[in-house]
Amino acid sequence: MSGDLAFLADTTLAIARAVPVTVGLFAASAVGATLLGGLLVMAQTRRGTRECARLWIFVFRGTPLLLQIFMVYYGLAALGPIRHGPLWAAFREPLFCAFVAMTCCCSAYIAEVCRAALAAIPAGQIEAALASGMGRWTRLRLIVLPQLVRLALPAYGNELVMMIKSTALASTITVMDVTGVAGQVIAHSYRTLDVFCLAAAVYLGLTGALTAALRYVERRLNPVEGTR
Amino acid sequence: MTAQSSEPVLRARGITKSFGGQAVLKGIDLDAHRGDVVAILGGSGSGKSTFLRCLNLLEMPDAGTIAIGGTAAPLRYDGKGGARVTDARALNALRARTAMVFQNFNLWAHMTVIDNVIAAPVHVHGVPRAAAIDRAHALLDKVGMAGFAGHWPRQLSGGQQQRVAIARALATDPDLMLFDEPTSALDPERVREVLDLIRALADEGRTMLIVTHEMAFARDVSGQVVHVRDGAIESMGPPEAMFGPDASPVFRAFLSPG
Repeated sequence: MSGDLAFLADTTLAIARAVPVTVGLFAASAVGATLLGGLLVMAQTRRGTRECARLWIFVFRGTPLLLQIFMVYYGLAALGPIRHGPLWAAFREPLFCAFVAMTCCCSAYIAEVCRAALAAIPAGQIEAALASGMGRWTRLRLIVLPQLVRLALPAYGNELVMMIKSTALASTITVMDVTGVAGQVIAHSYRTLDVFCLAAAVYLGLTGALTAALRYVERRLNPVEGTR
Repeated sequence: MTAQSSEPVLRARGITKSFGGQAVLKGIDLDAHRGDVVAILGGSGSGKSTFLRCLNLLEMPDAGTIAIGGTAAPLRYDGKGGARVTDARALNALRARTAMVFQNFNLWAHMTVIDNVIAAPVHVHGVPRAAAIDRAHALLDKVGMAGFAGHWPRQLSGGQQQRVAIARALATDPDLMLFDEPTSALDPERVREVLDLIRALADEGRTMLIVTHEMAFARDVSGQVVHVRDGAIESMGPPEAMFGPDASPVFRAFLSPG
């Protein structure tokens, strides 16, 4: 019995130590995917770049993230210019490869979320800005972006929750995140259920905190019930 | 009407516009001088709103010239398609001298009432924020919305939103105000409060173009009535003539169909 407790305590500690890896991978990919997603939305407003953005979204949304992670980690390593080039220092790191794959994949989803929100801004809101003589950047900063953020937030938040869970895939390329550490403990102890439950509890805590934060932001942006 | 200066506030010539091969405007000329109140009447689909929206270039005309206060709109026509804007800054500067009041108010939903009113003065005209806020409060008082500065558009009735929209339009002290069916989306009992406000602006000598279905209002308030039919001006004149015994039979048929 005391052995059980000691095992659980050790496991909890080991998994807790892996939380920064999971959170770090999530945070970096979320920032990267959001920036790249914004770029993809802008690219779609211009001919020429539009086709490139569409192709990017088609490819990264249409293939499994697990495959993308494998391709970045194992696939790129087979390419001479990567293997023997200056980028090898980065691409030999599994954590960096997971970050690259997740950024590319999730940027496609975030771009689609933003495109839908952009299309949902009522035309009259933009016309009022045009009629008042606002220039392109003033319009974007004062009217378009604030409304876009409000419209996109629920779907964007959903996307972030999915991203937290997707970080678990990084464990397949030897990243020692929460799932990776859990797998390692199981390999030594052959105790599956309680260890996986511990890991699941950590993910629940993370997604729960994120959901609460998102709800707070949503309420701050919409002070009146029912306002957009 | 006040004395007419030589340069009209608005000079529109030969405005045409078609949507998908359908000619909506077939060449409209219109002038408005300082202090003029022009009521634009016509059935649905007559092109009156499209014409108004061409004047601040929310719609790009297929042909024609527009000048506001003597400054020509920076447009170029190269044969196919509508007008092309040759100078975006000049276009914005031109729009900034006009103001539009929309049928559906179009208050910015993510801004409070006061932020709606100061947005253009601060961010387009460079008025210091404190001065803009002072003026906005005075304007809200004028339109009867003094206690609502911190409210959100969603919390207001249609009539209240439209009065805020009028305060927003006044905030930049525009040379020309364009009203696009300002009472058409309002409950009947709210129409009066908005019409009374527009009437007060007319009495101050504001230069206004008003697209409306309110015939009695047009007759009482405007100095010039324009009847648009099938994308062209069918008849125009002072209200006494337009609503008098010698009025155009077509306009009279429009007033009392059947």
